[in-house]
Amino acid sequence: MAEQEERLVDEERSVELFARLPKEPSAREDLVRLHYPLVEYLARRFAGRGEPVEDLVQVASIGLLKAIDRFDTERGVKFSTYATPTIIGELKRHFRDKGWAMRVPRRLQEIGLQLSRVVSEMFQELGRSPTVPEIAARSGLSEDDVLEGMDAIHVHSIGSLDAPTDEDGGTSASRLGAEDETFELLEGWASVAPHLEKLPERERSILYLRFFRGLTQSQIAERLGISQMHVSRILSRTLSVLRDAVGAGEG
Amino acid sequence: MSDVNVKVPARPNFVHIFRSVIASIAASADFTYDEIDDLRLAVDEACAQLLVVGGDATTLSMLIRNLDGGGVEILTSIDAEGAPWPPAGAEHTLTWQVLSALADEARFEQMDGHPALRLTKRRVPAGAN
Repeated sequence: MAEQEERLVDEERSVELFARLPKEPSAREDLVRLHYPLVEYLARRFAGRGEPVEDLVQVASIGLLKAIDRFDTERGVKFSTYATPTIIGELKRHFRDKGWAMRVPRRLQEIGLQLSRVVSEMFQELGRSPTVPEIAARSGLSEDDVLEGMDAIHVHSIGSLDAPTDEDGGTSASRLGAEDETFELLEGWASVAPHLEKLPERERSILYLRFFRGLTQSQIAERLGISQMHVSRILSRTLSVLRDAVGAGEG
Repeated sequence: MSDVNVKVPARPNFVHIFRSVIASIAASADFTYDEIDDLRLAVDEACAQLLVVGGDATTLSMLIRNLDGGGVEILTSIDAEGAPWPPAGAEHTLTWQVLSALADEARFEQMDGHPALRLTKRRVPAGAN
């Protein structure tokens, strides 16, 4: 297995980029690009568990960025060898946190996955989000199934997820194309600002784009290259985390 | 369609019933998937805000009316007596910002002397945007 993973990456180029990294921040982008095949390969190993592949690739990319930031070139280990467990760890954490594959019946998992795909395909074609009758007509699901699938997508154990103290710190989101102009978000809301600052950057960006910039969930999904389902879950989860945090602070 | 009125115990673990109800009504009112998801989120946020001032409350209510010309009006309320409502600086809270982004209109109101939140969302006919 290890050999196969190493073949995905040009190790010489990787060493060269890591040597340049301290003086050239742009080398980080090149490292991300260079190791993308590894990210994709590992993400695909987790496919078929009820999560869209594009979301898994995004989760795996966060693992890659963590590995790049923590890698110590002095240790004499190949980067791909070092990064693989970090990336797999991130993917496993994703499933553990979502708890979705474990708690939702197989039939609803499949509906959820189909729903996620059809919603994004139809957004591309129509230039707007589809209605439930339109989704039903396209997918062959009944309208009740669509609504049931929507419910199932949101089954998660609130609170345990991507807690604001996440060591991730979200150093990664802006590199993945998210916005970091969340100043306005922090400025206006004094009572929540300290909690907003503790959110991973990806969560904060999605919150900002939806509630301050007025982008729709599908537009945000398109911009970040993830599914609408992922955006939807992040929004509901983040609001819940913030409510708990603010509530706890005020007693 | 007629008004829909749902009442549940004033506890967070019953709010999911409201989410399913609003999703079902919004779907038959021809809202898009994104808008239905937004309405679910808005109801969640509104109920959380009401439950904060809940105190001795026993019942959380949601009244949904279909608007002429397409859209829905959602009135959520809680039977809390003498709660400070609207909360101080209500229109400078994240809740209000969130509700205003998710619905066309969000208003803190009193209903029979009880705290209430009124949300209005009109439907833009599919294809018009």
